[in-house]
Amino acid sequence: MLYQPQILEEALTLKADLGGDVDALAGGTDLLVALSRGQWRPKNVLDLSRVVERSEIRKADSRFSLAHGVTHAQLTRLPVRALAEAALSIGGPQIRNRGTLAGNLGTASPAGDGCVALLALHAEMELTRAGRGSRRLPVRDFFLDYRRTELRPEELITRVVVPADWTSAWHKIGKRGSVNISVVCAAVARSPQGRFGVAFGSVGPYPLTAPKTEALLNAAALTPELIDEAAAMAQTEVSPISDHRASAAYRRAMCGTLLRRLLTEHFLNGRD
Amino acid sequence: MPENVSEHGGAASPADDSIWHWRCKVNGQIIERDLPASTTLLHALRDHCSLTGTKGACEEGECGSCTVLLDGAPVNSCLVLAAQTQDCQVTTIEAMASGRKLHILQDKFLAAGAAQCGYCTPGLIMAAAALLKQHPDPTPDEFLQGMEGNICRCTGYKAISEAIRQAAQEWPTPPEVP
Repeated sequence: MLYQPQILEEALTLKADLGGDVDALAGGTDLLVALSRGQWRPKNVLDLSRVVERSEIRKADSRFSLAHGVTHAQLTRLPVRALAEAALSIGGPQIRNRGTLAGNLGTASPAGDGCVALLALHAEMELTRAGRGSRRLPVRDFFLDYRRTELRPEELITRVVVPADWTSAWHKIGKRGSVNISVVCAAVARSPQGRFGVAFGSVGPYPLTAPKTEALLNAAALTPELIDEAAAMAQTEVSPISDHRASAAYRRAMCGTLLRRLLTEHFLNGRD
Repeated sequence: MPENVSEHGGAASPADDSIWHWRCKVNGQIIERDLPASTTLLHALRDHCSLTGTKGACEEGECGSCTVLLDGAPVNSCLVLAAQTQDCQVTTIEAMASGRKLHILQDKFLAAGAAQCGYCTPGLIMAAAALLKQHPDPTPDEFLQGMEGNICRCTGYKAISEAIRQAAQEWPTPPEVP
């Protein structure tokens, strides 16, 4: 059975009532691939792509609050550099027009480009269950294991909240220039008070943060020597595997390289 | 062929797939069809509307051959359920020419020899139409970002890029994309 609510309240009620018996469908850029391959055989589908308030972006208190259906195409125009660059690296325009940030979180792919940007930005997300209200949690607490998250079967991801006043940057290494899955991607962000966020994709069972590297960066002024130290530290904090895209050793080394590049190009000398 | 894949390459309907009353404006005409709810827009167009100009190739969003415009924005029709286009406007390659008069992009593709097997061409033209509508004079970055969702395995892209660039020079003189 396909459900197609037009208002969020209705979607939440259906999810709360049907729980694990209904799969939420956002942009469909992951699930429709699984459907086409015969790997997804849902009992019930909750199509969120027609909810009227899905695309809303609000700005308040130097934060952007993004509704669940905000697409990658919308994010490419958001003045949050890491998130906009991550969104622009996803697929081609056809995918960016359909895929959503909340869907990227819900899929919880280790290579989720948008998730990596959100982790570096210390973003928060809102999970809502009809009748029980919303809970806010850091995106950092959302990923539990390979494609396992804090999202309960009765809940929907309703909003993502990102700081609007952080400096941030993002970079991906892939096999092609476009429409490719990250071999490694990295994001770095810094708050106006100087607090850093560092995150990597495709180097663990889910998008990873690098807390020890962040602590190093938070403790002293940024110098080329500190950047070298941070690049070395970051390589000890990731847990990549070897697969058909790249070896674990290459991925680990690239985490250091990407971090050094991002810090040098966007944060040293107070640029950006 | 695995048993769960139909001869069209799309997913076979599960036994309990409910029927969806699909209503959509396709190329300016309101179309109503009863379809299995799991039908993709690609198969709704090809198998239920006889609009076979839209091509299915990878059917997983990698190649762009199935590109159509959904409310003016390019999408992979293989990754959208027909049901998700309820009461929307869909534009396919069939709407590009007016009668016997080809769209400027079609003309330029022909003139530049921008097709070999031609299978990717309808998707490329739809993506290019969306690109030029948004950026009538695209920068190199806008050009790449607009066309990066489509692949061609024959031509090497030089003639395709040339055709789109030439169409851009005469844009927006041609009739608006419906």
